[in-house]
Amino acid sequence: MSAPVAVAERRPRRELWRRLCARRSTRAALLTLGLIVLAAVLVPWLSPYDYSSPSWTHIFTAPTWAGGQVFGTDALGRDLLVRVMWGCRISLLVGLVASVVSVVIGVLWGATAGYLGGRTDALLMRSVDVLYSVPFIPLVIVLNVLFGRHLVLVFIGIGAVSWLDIARIVRGQTLAICSREYVDAARALGVRTPAMICRHVVPNIMGIVIVYATLTVPAVILFEALLSFLGLGVQAPLASLGSLVADGASEMQSNPYLLIIPSILLALIVLCLNHLGDALRDALDPHEP
Amino acid sequence: MARFLLRRLLSALPTLLVIATLAFALLHLTPGGPFDSDRTLVAQIQRAIEARYHLDEPVWRQYLRYLNDLAHGDLGPSFTYRDTSVNQIIAQGLPIDLAIGGCAIGFALLVGGAIGLGAASRPGSLRDRLPMTLAMIGISVPSFVIAPLLILIFAMRLHWLPSGDWVGGSWRHLLLPSLALALPYTAFIARIVRASALDVMGNAHIRTARAKGLGDTAVLLRHALRPTLMPLVSYLGPALASVLTGSIVIEQVFGLPGVGRFFIGGALNRDYTLVMGLTLLYGALIIVGNFVVDLCYAWLDPRVRLNR
Amino acid sequence: MALALPALFAMFLSACELHNNGGSIASLRVGAQLAAQQELVRGVDAGAMRSLDPSISTDIPAERVLDDIFEGLTRLDQSGQPAPGLATHWETSSDGRTWTFHLREARWSNGEPIRAGDFVYAWRRTVDPHTASDYGQALSAVSNAIDVNEGRAAPDTLGIEAPDEHTVVVHLNAPTPYLLSLMSKAYTYPQYRPEIEAFGNRWTDPGHIVGNGAFLLREHVIGGRVTLTRNPQYWDAASVRLQKVTYLPLDRAVQTDRFFAGDLAFTDSFSAEQTAWLRSRLGSQVVSAPYLGNFVLGVNVLHPPFAGNRELRLALTMALDRETLVRYVRQGLYQPAWTPTPPLPGYRAPVPEWASLAQAQRLARARHHYQLAGYSAQHPLEVELYYPTDTDNRRTYEAVAAMWRSNLGALVHTFNEEFRVQVNERHLKKLPLFHYAWIGDYPDPYTFLQLFRTGFGYNDGGYSNPAYDRLLERADVESDAATRLALLAEAETLLNDDAACIPIYYYASRHLIKAYVKGWTSNIQDRNLSQYMYILEHQVR
Repeated sequence: MSAPVAVAERRPRRELWRRLCARRSTRAALLTLGLIVLAAVLVPWLSPYDYSSPSWTHIFTAPTWAGGQVFGTDALGRDLLVRVMWGCRISLLVGLVASVVSVVIGVLWGATAGYLGGRTDALLMRSVDVLYSVPFIPLVIVLNVLFGRHLVLVFIGIGAVSWLDIARIVRGQTLAICSREYVDAARALGVRTPAMICRHVVPNIMGIVIVYATLTVPAVILFEALLSFLGLGVQAPLASLGSLVADGASEMQSNPYLLIIPSILLALIVLCLNHLGDALRDALDPHEP
Repeated sequence: MARFLLRRLLSALPTLLVIATLAFALLHLTPGGPFDSDRTLVAQIQRAIEARYHLDEPVWRQYLRYLNDLAHGDLGPSFTYRDTSVNQIIAQGLPIDLAIGGCAIGFALLVGGAIGLGAASRPGSLRDRLPMTLAMIGISVPSFVIAPLLILIFAMRLHWLPSGDWVGGSWRHLLLPSLALALPYTAFIARIVRASALDVMGNAHIRTARAKGLGDTAVLLRHALRPTLMPLVSYLGPALASVLTGSIVIEQVFGLPGVGRFFIGGALNRDYTLVMGLTLLYGALIIVGNFVVDLCYAWLDPRVRLNR
Repeated sequence: MALALPALFAMFLSACELHNNGGSIASLRVGAQLAAQQELVRGVDAGAMRSLDPSISTDIPAERVLDDIFEGLTRLDQSGQPAPGLATHWETSSDGRTWTFHLREARWSNGEPIRAGDFVYAWRRTVDPHTASDYGQALSAVSNAIDVNEGRAAPDTLGIEAPDEHTVVVHLNAPTPYLLSLMSKAYTYPQYRPEIEAFGNRWTDPGHIVGNGAFLLREHVIGGRVTLTRNPQYWDAASVRLQKVTYLPLDRAVQTDRFFAGDLAFTDSFSAEQTAWLRSRLGSQVVSAPYLGNFVLGVNVLHPPFAGNRELRLALTMALDRETLVRYVRQGLYQPAWTPTPPLPGYRAPVPEWASLAQAQRLARARHHYQLAGYSAQHPLEVELYYPTDTDNRRTYEAVAAMWRSNLGALVHTFNEEFRVQVNERHLKKLPLFHYAWIGDYPDPYTFLQLFRTGFGYNDGGYSNPAYDRLLERADVESDAATRLALLAEAETLLNDDAACIPIYYYASRHLIKAYVKGWTSNIQDRNLSQYMYILEHQVR
């Protein structure tokens, strides 16, 4: 049943990739992001330093080639390179997991509403409208203050607030898809609703969803950084980019590198992801040549 | 029009009720009460305090009491700041956030709009690429990085402007915080305006205008501006409300007495009424923002009818 | 014996005033002059200033303001010692349980005379359970205070009376050597009844409040700036130089930035991690002095692994290298602590014998105790350490956990929890290892030692030792000051032998103060009244 669709899908994907990589800036963003991910994985693993052990003789060492501490050290003499790379790991992980959570909720919500239509649709979308007016950012802050600082909670909390846009878009797409013949055909063959949504509707809206997910990741990373900046992020001695920036901000006069280095990495990651999201959207856009 | 207003108002009520209920439930579910401190209180005093703030009643009655007060426009007494009420705190802090937020949004609209239109008038040129790259960077650098840097440069090194504080809203004190808050919005607006302007420029009526021999700028201002603003307007609604959240960081870094910082302080202190009051305020701002958006739509595009 | 000498004090007083005045002028360097504009901007910690009601307020920023707009029977002198305030002199009965204070002619800021009854009213209000003051029990030394506070007696049975308009008589349960320090605490300041009864909890609004201190409250933005101006009705107004004092509640790092930008002249703290850098930039404008507070880890002796395991507690406390912590993590700002009570005038806290060992020997002992407790490299201790959210202490906790890991192999997981949650769990005695820092209410060892008394409200570690309790009971009723301190020292030795807590360091006050601000002296209570300060002529940027 779905075979012809799959074949039709595959070719556009290769085409998409070609379009995406056509621009130099996109290739640069992909490369930078790849390098950061690679460094975040490898550096803490290969480095002789770890993120938590103090070194009394190296407190506040400015960046230096000696001993490989190219990013310098912090208030407890810990290697900033390793800590920043751990920060990248945390930030990327938060971004990914929260985006997955939001995509899953958003897609299921939107697809269900669009596919079932009628009363269910009205109810589900009306609740989305109401939720749009709920001040979620402050609520997540409140939640984080109240229910401890477990990383998992940060993931889920952030993911749980950013699915509304996706739900709306997915519903629109689903409505369009449901009017196509193959859906009618499948329905006539007796495919049940959950299977319909998962096997036929969802795969066909993945394109637009991926674009939105790509744009959700940097937003989530920034939000986590904001929480960490306000002191509501991960547990010390672990650090995220946001908490490193916060620590650096209080040292900005005495040891500016503590602010500048994590800020640059945070901005780079967000920049690359934003750019990729844009590029993906452009590549998917049929108007573009 | 009156019917439209009324209907919008009525449809806002359930939303506010949901927000109030959600906030109430969350706060009452959390561990730690508003009057726990490292000085354990004598049972007698604990009871006296709880009686004063009606914390000794069953939760459902507290909830009804809160809703009743709310219906009378009373957000209750603050638990943390024991000499004042939430109404007072908001009355004192909100104007500051509105001033900074208003300046920031105004700046973002003017500068971002100009950049976006400029970029769209010559797509692909340096006038397009450079500002758009800067805008992308602007979106990616959070305000808690920009704000300390602004202080470092303009207050501590150059001594041009005060490093913060709020003295009756003088422009010198307003400038740095507004700028720090405005930069990400400016970047967003520039991008939205550019994309939308490019879209509009491809439309038939613009081509007609061009064919008539009108210059680029004239086309842009006379024919492309209105439709270009449409997507911008839908962005601005939520943005207006998010200024309040954005100001949490700005207030902290610049030491301003707005309401944003009470979100965190209030939650830390289990100041139920303060957090609920602020959450409702924020929700109300979003609703107002969306309402203004709808009005603007109607103004920008006569095809949109209000009492649809 | 605290038998005060009324006549002598009365004579001394006028000299005292002259000294303050003359002292200020005499201390001016040649060529230095008072600035024409006597205005001071002081930074205080953000997130506080929760109430300006003297009976209710608990936080330090509010205390700073209240010290400026009110005055008690005593006021703190420049060195932070209680000196005659509204009371010109006082005498004590021979058993030390009745104090009689004689008031001077003074006026409220609205021109009304201050009467002895204003003190009676204020004290009853503080203790009355309906006021719901956190400090309801702080006057426990006064007879009937506890009964009134716990609702068993009427407020008018409190041991304070006003036989005439200029005399306040205080009845105590036991001789209380630190009573004079309490008399300069906000909750014992007089209060102006008509305003409080007219405006309820709004009486502290700038438009309503009636004070009696050197300054008047002009402006109070909730959680924001507080502006004070000189009070012409103040009895010692002639020696007050500052015309205007502004308090700005700001985060620690922001205070430092503002100081550099020249917007603040007197900050309330700075980041310990920046001490060395600040000293290199600001020199003598960085001011630090011992402070009446300790940084201690609480140990829960009711639950495993610490219940009945003195060896383990000793191992942990010995394994910490306090000198390194103080020198590197706190950049030499604080003093290492071996015992809960910080150095106090007249009291020498007992230090455990292992404190004088070299670090290597101490470590060997620690490892020995660790083994005796039943732990080893194969079977390491695994325990959770809880501390409240506060960036200032975070580094210390990270370093402490790292030290235990490297010195003993113990796996200590640090958990940063929100303050309210943590305090709640601490009181329920659920936490094995926890933040237990304490700021003393008055300069006396009892304020620190009471924490380990059986049944005491904040004894969150659950320590209970009958011998210890007996020593404190004896000290309670001892009227000879030296004997009393000896009893307290004996009690503190028991604490150290039992390793009832893990002291780490004693706090220090830390300020950045512009060179042109004069008239302050570092003191152990870290209270500097604005009324003594003045501004020298200086170059405005």
